[in-house]
Amino acid sequence: MALTGRAALVAAVGIVVVLLAPEPAFALLGWLLVLAAAITADLVLAGSVRTLRFHRSGDNLVRLGQTGTVELTVENPGPRTVRGVLRDAWPPSAGAAPRELKLDVPAGERRRLVVTLNPTRRGDRASASVTVRSVGPLGLAARQGAHSVPWSVRVLPPFLSRKHLPSRLAKLRELEGQHPALVRGQGTEFDSLREYVVGDDVRSIDWRASARRHDVVVRTWRPERDRRVLIVLDTGRTSAGRVGAAPVPLTGDTGRAPLESLAPTDQARPVPGWPRLDWSMDAALLLAALAARAGDRVDFLAYDRAVRAWVSGASRTELLTALVNAMAPIEAELIEADSPGMVANILSRAKRRCLVVLLTDLNASALDEGLMPVLPQLSSRHLVLVAGVSDPAVADMAGRKDTAEEVYDAAAAEYTRIERRRITARLRRHGVEVVDAAPEDIAPALADAYLALKAAGRL
Amino acid sequence: MSVSTSPTTGSLWRAGRFWIVLGALVAVTAIIGVALAPGAREARRLDPADTSLEGSKALAELLRKRGVTVDRVDSIEAALAKGEGRLLLVTHTAYFDWQQLDQLAQLQGDRVIVGGLDGLGVLAPTITPESESARVRSREPECDLPAARAAGSAYLGGELFRGANGCYPGEKGSALVQAPGEGGTVTVLGDGTFMTNQYLAEDGNAALALNLLGTKPAVTWLVRPDQPPTGSLAGPGGKSLGELMPATVPWAVLAACLAVLVTAYWRGRRLGPVVAEKLPVVVRAAETVEGRGRLYRARRARERAAAVLRAGTIDRLTPRVGLAPGAGQHEVVAAVAVRTGQDAHQVGGALYGPPPADDAGLVALARYLEFIERIVREH
Repeated sequence: MALTGRAALVAAVGIVVVLLAPEPAFALLGWLLVLAAAITADLVLAGSVRTLRFHRSGDNLVRLGQTGTVELTVENPGPRTVRGVLRDAWPPSAGAAPRELKLDVPAGERRRLVVTLNPTRRGDRASASVTVRSVGPLGLAARQGAHSVPWSVRVLPPFLSRKHLPSRLAKLRELEGQHPALVRGQGTEFDSLREYVVGDDVRSIDWRASARRHDVVVRTWRPERDRRVLIVLDTGRTSAGRVGAAPVPLTGDTGRAPLESLAPTDQARPVPGWPRLDWSMDAALLLAALAARAGDRVDFLAYDRAVRAWVSGASRTELLTALVNAMAPIEAELIEADSPGMVANILSRAKRRCLVVLLTDLNASALDEGLMPVLPQLSSRHLVLVAGVSDPAVADMAGRKDTAEEVYDAAAAEYTRIERRRITARLRRHGVEVVDAAPEDIAPALADAYLALKAAGRL
Repeated sequence: MSVSTSPTTGSLWRAGRFWIVLGALVAVTAIIGVALAPGAREARRLDPADTSLEGSKALAELLRKRGVTVDRVDSIEAALAKGEGRLLLVTHTAYFDWQQLDQLAQLQGDRVIVGGLDGLGVLAPTITPESESARVRSREPECDLPAARAAGSAYLGGELFRGANGCYPGEKGSALVQAPGEGGTVTVLGDGTFMTNQYLAEDGNAALALNLLGTKPAVTWLVRPDQPPTGSLAGPGGKSLGELMPATVPWAVLAACLAVLVTAYWRGRRLGPVVAEKLPVVVRAAETVEGRGRLYRARRARERAAAVLRAGTIDRLTPRVGLAPGAGQHEVVAAVAVRTGQDAHQVGGALYGPPPADDAGLVALARYLEFIERIVREH
């Protein structure tokens, strides 16, 4: 049951009536009885909410930053019209609009309502319930009831680095020999024999085959195919830190200033950007798309202290779909990542030699205690590439040296950068490839590193 | 497909019947308790008819047992009507105005006045009050007054007075003063707590009270008059506030309460549940770096800051001037000086010199390092 503003107005008019009445006690009692009777009549005559039937259809998958729609069909099998408002209750970060929908379903008919979702966060969002308030003919009172109409929408990572894919595919095609200047080198394997045409490199003529065929035959080469790439996403505490500027605003990205007492300077704080995790996912998606086109097999593992996601053996066409689906619900866990466990997991899952791309933060203290002791186990069997998203805010701090305060901050930023350079140098001494780039550049930088490895035949 | 999740009347009753029954039991018990309990009355301090802790019925009974007639009166007229030759006990002088107290002062006989400075000049002109008061506690008589000496220590204090016979002294003046008046002795007490039912049995309280009040065969006990509630007090026109108000107003107030209830229910009823969700943490990755900067700042760690800035510059300069990492100090200084055209001594001082003495020196060092780096980068 619910009352309307009209009922409150009627009750307020009662004050004046009682004030002016010759017999106030009876006037009050009478007014009370009239109001109660009208409300009861309204409740009895309102359309039944309990018997309503709902059906849903619409989007199950929405990319972050895009808008999805969910349709809700309301069927009224009861004898009376259901008129009033309906609320489809979604979590706030699903961005459901409008909050309340007008409803007018005559007896025995059905109406379709549309809720648009503009999600502000990755992950699964489910509708909590559908609540209907059915107002009676007098408009004084309403029946209210809730229905559970389950529907969930998976919000996928936006894969903004798609825009870099065409240029990297062009580079890949150059490698693959659709380019005329094809020479044998490391990282290529024998493809086929074909007749010599003018312009071919004479060094690639296969004299033995030419002798058999009475024609000049050249060997063609192509880059190695069917290599394995294992993308490992570190979802531990270091991946929660926000860097850069968010291309798609995420929930919680309010540019609000911190408490006065915590801010010794009155400079405006930068708006927190995307978590490192989201940038890493973006880079992983570009790498996966590229590697799949290059004919390599891509597996994906997300790990902190347990396996958060594992995608293996997806076909070339289904790989990206499988990856975005696996990535969608992953959130950064506020726990220290368990590097020995991660390495043990990688070793048990990757039997053959493969390229292990580890997307983590190049944080000296975290890597010193976690990854460095167990890195030799990994790098002895696999080719390891560590990719870390650097923080542009630190570079910005290191560059500002106008006042003494800023110089102290610059020194702190410089310290962080020195530590980062040292850990990078140590990783390289272990034979590990390192990609360290700003948030916007990490995806193309990682793709370029992959292409360089492929061109060098190190996969 | 949808499922209704609203509770039905039956399920509401099944879920809530225990609490409904419990609530009803509590309500019934409370109603019975209130109906059987004696009507709660306001405690009337030092009233001979009051049996509460604040009252003085015990003292009145003791006096009656000793053959003293105790007459409780609550107005000046009644006190005057009792006649002269009796002991007059006034417990609350503040409730009477000057004219009434003047009439009372005409009454011949002994007087005992408890607490209160109002009307003291009329009722006991020979006794003057002191400006200070004392804490009410057990005190020794320390005087020659037979009534006090016989009683011993008593629970006295409050207002202090100066007069002929002072007993139970505080720092300045006494809590009990007896002086001869026009028609009999006048006794003034700083506080009447020792005569209440609560304290009468302690110390020599009962003895002191009986000695003071039992001197005459009859006591006129003047208590404070009953105060009618403020709303029914008559105004200058002879009508109280309640009589001036139209009869419909209280009912309209009731109707307004009803309207407020309806409005509250209208605004308070939520359309559907509050949906909660687990939000990710929002923490900027640069916060640790900023924290370190604040630590440097707070401790004025110039030495440390300068060392870090120099290490960063040397790290970046070494490969640019064509040296291997880990090159010696002299090689680096010489190579950088040649490349930049700066004085080798100055470059050496900037890259390897002593830490700056003050913040201005630190800023200058940071700028000079940046300057060297820029030249090396651009040439």
